[in-house]
Amino acid sequence: MNAQSKKSKLNSCGALLICAAGLWSAAAFAKCGAIEAKGEINIIGNAFPVLQHIAKEMESCSVPGLKVQFKMTPQARTEIETAFSSNGKSPFDAAVVAMGVYANLQSKNQLLPLTQLVEKYKSKYKLEDNMLVKANGEVMAIAFMSNAQNLYYRKDLFEKHGIKVPTNYPEMVQAATALKAKEPSIEFPIAQTFAQGFDVATEFTNIYRSLGGSFFKAGTAQPAFNDAIALQTLTLMKTMMPYMTPNAFASNSDDVMNQFQQGRAAMGVLWASRAARMDDPAASKVVGKMEFAVAPAAKAGAKPASHLWWDGVVIPKNHGGNADAIFQVIMEALDEETTMKGNDIAVWIRSVYKPGRFGSAVSASGKAGAPIWPTEPFFNLAHAELGKVIPDALTGRISMQKALESAAAAYSSAAKEKGFLK
Amino acid sequence: MRFSTFLSFISPSLGLLLGLLLAPLLITFYLSTQHCNLDMQEVVVKEQTPFGVQETKTIKAKIGSDGKALTICAPPSLSHYAKLLDTERLGKAISSGNWRDIQAMEFWGAMEFTLFYVIVTTPFVLALGLLLALCVNASVERLKSFWIAASLLPFVITPVVGALAIKWLFKDNGLIPYLLTFINVNIFWMAEAWSARLLIVLYGVWHVVPFAFIVLYAGLQSLPSEAVEAAHLDGANRWQILRYVTIPHLMPLIAFITLIHVMDAYRVFEPVAVLTQGTFTKSVQYLTYHVLMNEDNPSKASAAAVLTIVGISVLLIPLLRKTWKEYQPT
Repeated sequence: MNAQSKKSKLNSCGALLICAAGLWSAAAFAKCGAIEAKGEINIIGNAFPVLQHIAKEMESCSVPGLKVQFKMTPQARTEIETAFSSNGKSPFDAAVVAMGVYANLQSKNQLLPLTQLVEKYKSKYKLEDNMLVKANGEVMAIAFMSNAQNLYYRKDLFEKHGIKVPTNYPEMVQAATALKAKEPSIEFPIAQTFAQGFDVATEFTNIYRSLGGSFFKAGTAQPAFNDAIALQTLTLMKTMMPYMTPNAFASNSDDVMNQFQQGRAAMGVLWASRAARMDDPAASKVVGKMEFAVAPAAKAGAKPASHLWWDGVVIPKNHGGNADAIFQVIMEALDEETTMKGNDIAVWIRSVYKPGRFGSAVSASGKAGAPIWPTEPFFNLAHAELGKVIPDALTGRISMQKALESAAAAYSSAAKEKGFLK
Repeated sequence: MRFSTFLSFISPSLGLLLGLLLAPLLITFYLSTQHCNLDMQEVVVKEQTPFGVQETKTIKAKIGSDGKALTICAPPSLSHYAKLLDTERLGKAISSGNWRDIQAMEFWGAMEFTLFYVIVTTPFVLALGLLLALCVNASVERLKSFWIAASLLPFVITPVVGALAIKWLFKDNGLIPYLLTFINVNIFWMAEAWSARLLIVLYGVWHVVPFAFIVLYAGLQSLPSEAVEAAHLDGANRWQILRYVTIPHLMPLIAFITLIHVMDAYRVFEPVAVLTQGTFTKSVQYLTYHVLMNEDNPSKASAAAVLTIVGISVLLIPLLRKTWKEYQPT
């Protein structure tokens, strides 16, 4: 090949690359419109499937001169709270948060009110009223999805053995007894997230509130979760243990999802956001066999033992960029197109969302009266202390009463240190 | 050498030591004495969420004229240490001689497991590391590089990834429980204290043996062949050569491995967080993590970190004394 031919080929390659880059930036430009900003926009969020979808959309708003980056990390909560409370500029210009984290940030007055930006862009992005999270009339967050823990059950096995789908926990234990006796392929019929820490404390919260318990004395941060209802809750949780894997205290959402996918469990309460993975033929042996229903109540006639959650986007007061551009990048990724493209991976709040079999149980739980996850900013402290002691109480290492008292004492100490209790 | 010349020679190292070791330690200690919180007040908030509108009586930070949340600080004190160590209950438990009460206290329970982990893993790490080094040293020359590379793999793997691999091997339906069913053994490894602790110890030994192996293998390369030959001629058997020639030669390295492993093992965290999430196996470092992440209390977590350093220092005193004596001019 002579030098001229080589040069001509290089020129062609260069032209192609320039065209490709031009097409890419044109595509991004078309997606995000004319966002007038330069520099970087950094966004942070937890690591789960729907956020991958949203992160991709946000990052597609990068154009020459503007770089949008999304950091996905399981430690998002700590990073967000540290960044938003910083005296200097926050390294993150926006964050995707669950409602518990929102409550903490809002209690510390660290969030930028979005009311004016919402008014400016409401029609452009077709913002719907139920996406707006307001405190005393100011928009503080844009919610995009809801979540709840629902009942997952093996429809094929329930039909085969003529077992009724449980609507409360005593019925669930009855169904588990029947399955254990009749279905040799299932050694442990119930699979639930009883892992020490967040998971087991969340199960406790679901059942405790379904039984009518209140975590705190009305209108105060004084603990009340060491009462008779809490004892009843632990007792009910203990009745489930013989039907669950003995490794339950190390079973988080991933482990429970795997137990269902491998056909080793027949029912249990799990996050709705995991439902679509049941029909993933690459990971599941139970494609088409799982069905979803409202979470069982703790007792007959009670409200479902589950809570409604929302996830949304917030901007910190100490953001380091142009709030207008940050808001537009967020909204580009939360538009109707993103919702429709990812219809089945989340329970979206936008009205274009079409609930399928994976998400229908969330709205059914809401209709059945499932409460909203507690939003008191000190609730996380109580939740954390309960998560530490419940496994010890359920395994009998300490008595249930002692476990609850020690959790309440540890909570009071932590709440005093944080200024919630005098 | 003039003192100023000496100073100019050591100042870069001294600067690095002060900047990277002493300064963070002092800052951590300073943080551990702080007691600053947001100034909270009861408020009623009308909240609108996707699930409806509700009026909530809650607690919120007071806001200053600059729009920032107001904080109130108590005078610096060591009260975080007293709370962590639970000094009041500890005193009562010691005076009543109730060991179980001490175990039930969070910090002391975590300390018990941490010390158990340090004490159990150290001899296994040394013994298996030495065994591996002797085996590879005795292997045919052309296979040595393969054995070395293969043996180092667990040490190369990131601790969290290594712990996850062990979890997948031992969890429900994992390879190990499955293989054990062929000999009618049915163990749920994360279900009981003994098995959960065994699993963490197993991980610790698996992860650190390669480090002991590579250090001891390097030591074996400098073993004087004359001494071994002389022992042979004197009629010593293999065990006696190992006992009276090889191990004494490796002793400084064994002390070094022990020193490093004790420091490392006292900070055990990854296998606890990944394998058991603290069930039956809370360690001092896991407790620090809990205080920082869940109690959201950096000052108290700093106190826990300082206590970790104190604990490691106490454990290292005998080893450091021995090393100090060895380096003193006779």
